[in-house]
Amino acid sequence: MTARFTAKSLTAIVLPLAALTGFSAAAQADDWTPTRNIEFIAPANPGGGWDTLVRTVSRVIQEEGLAERSFGAINVPGGGGAVAWAQIARDTGNPHKLFATSPPIILVPLAGTSRFDHTDFTPVARLITDYSIILVKADAPYEDLNELFEAIAENPSLSIGGGSAPGSMDHISMAGVAAAAGLDAASVNYIPFSGGGEAMTNLMGGHVAAVITGAGEASGQLGEGSGLRPLGVSSPERLGGVLADIPTYQEQGIDYTFDIWRGVMGTPDMPEEAVAYYEALFAEMLETDGWEAARDQLGWIDAYQDSEAFGAFLDEQKEQFSTILGDLGLLGG
Amino acid sequence: MDAFNNLIYGFSIALDPINIFYVFAGVFAGTVIGMLPGLGPISALALMIPLTFGMEPSSGLILMAGVYYGAIFGGSTSSILLNAPGVAGTVATSFDGYPLAKQGQAGKALAIAAYASFIGGTISIIFLMLVAPLLGRVAVSFGPAEYFSLMVLGLTAVVSLSDKSLVKGLIAAVVGVMISIMGIDLQTGTERFTFGTVHLLDGIDFLVVALGIFALAEVFYMLLRGGGGKEQPRNAIGSLRLTKQEVRQIAPPIGRSSILGFFTGVLPGAGATIGSFLGYSMEKRLAKDGDTFGKGNIKGVAAPESANNAACTGSFVPLLTLGVPGSGSTAVLLGALLVMGVSPGPAMLVDRPDVFWGVVASMYLGNIFLLVLNLPLIPLIAKILDLPRPLLLALILIFCMVGVYGMSFSVFDLLLLLGFGLLGLGMRLFGFPAAPLILALILGSIMEESMRRALQISGGDWSIFIDKPISLALLVVAALSLTLPLLRKFRAR
Repeated sequence: MTARFTAKSLTAIVLPLAALTGFSAAAQADDWTPTRNIEFIAPANPGGGWDTLVRTVSRVIQEEGLAERSFGAINVPGGGGAVAWAQIARDTGNPHKLFATSPPIILVPLAGTSRFDHTDFTPVARLITDYSIILVKADAPYEDLNELFEAIAENPSLSIGGGSAPGSMDHISMAGVAAAAGLDAASVNYIPFSGGGEAMTNLMGGHVAAVITGAGEASGQLGEGSGLRPLGVSSPERLGGVLADIPTYQEQGIDYTFDIWRGVMGTPDMPEEAVAYYEALFAEMLETDGWEAARDQLGWIDAYQDSEAFGAFLDEQKEQFSTILGDLGLLGG
Repeated sequence: MDAFNNLIYGFSIALDPINIFYVFAGVFAGTVIGMLPGLGPISALALMIPLTFGMEPSSGLILMAGVYYGAIFGGSTSSILLNAPGVAGTVATSFDGYPLAKQGQAGKALAIAAYASFIGGTISIIFLMLVAPLLGRVAVSFGPAEYFSLMVLGLTAVVSLSDKSLVKGLIAAVVGVMISIMGIDLQTGTERFTFGTVHLLDGIDFLVVALGIFALAEVFYMLLRGGGGKEQPRNAIGSLRLTKQEVRQIAPPIGRSSILGFFTGVLPGAGATIGSFLGYSMEKRLAKDGDTFGKGNIKGVAAPESANNAACTGSFVPLLTLGVPGSGSTAVLLGALLVMGVSPGPAMLVDRPDVFWGVVASMYLGNIFLLVLNLPLIPLIAKILDLPRPLLLALILIFCMVGVYGMSFSVFDLLLLLGFGLLGLGMRLFGFPAAPLILALILGSIMEESMRRALQISGGDWSIFIDKPISLALLVVAALSLTLPLLRKFRAR
């Protein structure tokens, strides 16, 4: 009795629903726009790089009135991103869910702690990039990068602090530049701290010999009276603002660059129309005054790539990273 | 008097009517957030960031700082009334606060918490004002070796927190350390105790364990005893008034813990939770009636409450003078400041004195507001204890579940909460103390990471722990605190 009743009422509901979805699918074919608010996920706790990107982008889009629907920032912390990725991977085709991404989407799976990697998701756009910076104390004997690397060659136990785990961004960046300078990448004594800030205090206190961290993050500690000396940045060209006086690696004869890029990805198999909509939206956002102001304050550099270019870039990055991780003996299962 | 002039200047900013409003709004929001578990200061601050867009940086920081120390101030309420800490920094407050509430002295416990928080906050602001620029150097003098030794010193408190059976206390502490190292190991990327599930990759949130082992276990325990024993007498809140003798009793612990808490807060990576535990265990050891700690000693409320508020103020030292965040909450504050166009760091005192001194002055105001706001609320909030027992138990249950779910939106964490509730119940039934487990949970992973970092820096040479003077001193104090009670016992024979 009950079962029949349920089946009947189900049909009654499903039929009009099917008609509705059919109708909206037809509308989507030409020019897709979001039909509800967009969940914009930062796969980490508040306060970090992903979180800052998500909140800044959501705010600029809202303040500049770029989208009819609002972007809601959601934090899904855990496993260096793996928890959020596992959730998003289940949401195939959902056009209303995006997440912030950066090198860990490649590095974490390579280390073997996430079942999902960048190929499981839809690249939407690369937005910005930051670069690595290598710092020593102002009274340290090293005046430039080459002197630091000579010292490391002589004494491999010289400690280099970074703000992330072995095999993640700071370590890869350091190992890469060391290899380019002719050292054995695995010989660098990399000391992982639980954040760039902690690495920095350890440098100020003289507990480690040098630190590698994000240039944008470090810019607050530079300038007069800081007690720190920047030795080089990983950008292809000199950076702006307080970072303008710092030579690049390449200027010092070390042919290596490293991008800490950040972008946006969507659910697996996100519909093409939706991807096109977001691509255009982000491209438009990058042109606004509100974005420029926020970007400059945070020390970011625009590095837009559309979905296709971003996808190809991610594949390239994966190859590059797996080589370095292999050299370091950190490739996971 | 340079600091005096600066303070006058700071007050000229903080006393701007709009800033007075921000202080008030901040501490009010903070108190409410602190009382609710789950919505901790970190997420509350992240939610505030959009509000500060377009504000003067000094106003924005005044508002956000108010939320932060307001949350620590308010967090004691649920610790005392429900045995369910609202924020991690107030777990130690429940050790004696909850027993006091059960004895019908909730009003007194809450009043002491408010006074202690106020005094701890105020003393530490004076320190912040006078010595902050110098303290930057103290903060960075702590490297991995020093942190390791500090954590060893902290862990010796297991002995004093174990009361009846030292063996059971040690077992609880070992379990605590094991829980603390769950997840991906930062040094090697190896997974430990994750049982192959992605939910455990980051380990277990401290509050899930604390709410389970304290609050939920209490609910289970009462249920087991069939409805919770004797009904509390009507008007179970008791008087808010302290006798002269009680004031004399809690004054020295508040003074000591305020100073200890402030310096703990100055160290990046230590903070309010560790500060409150250090304050609590220090007072327990110093007190002549140390064996009544954990059973409703007012000093056991005064010490952690003054220490956690002082630590909260102390954590502004590395943030404002070095530009490095010492905790999750200050990391969010740093991000907000950057967005407002201020880079905290050594240059900020010169470039933006309005931000630094404005915030310092606003903290004096904020602490007064908190006291005035909280004291009259105590009788109202404490009425919750007049609820019939079944309702109260259901309320605690909902409170814990909403808190945990609100933190991570993870059903898995709810199951963990249940599991830790059962573990806590088992520990109670078999006489295992919960405090050592919680202490080891807080200190364990920091101790391990620091030790391995230190050894990696020294190339595996253990002498790094005794070559560094601060580290050596901490280890000596730790050794003394373990051996002195023994020596005293021998001499007594």
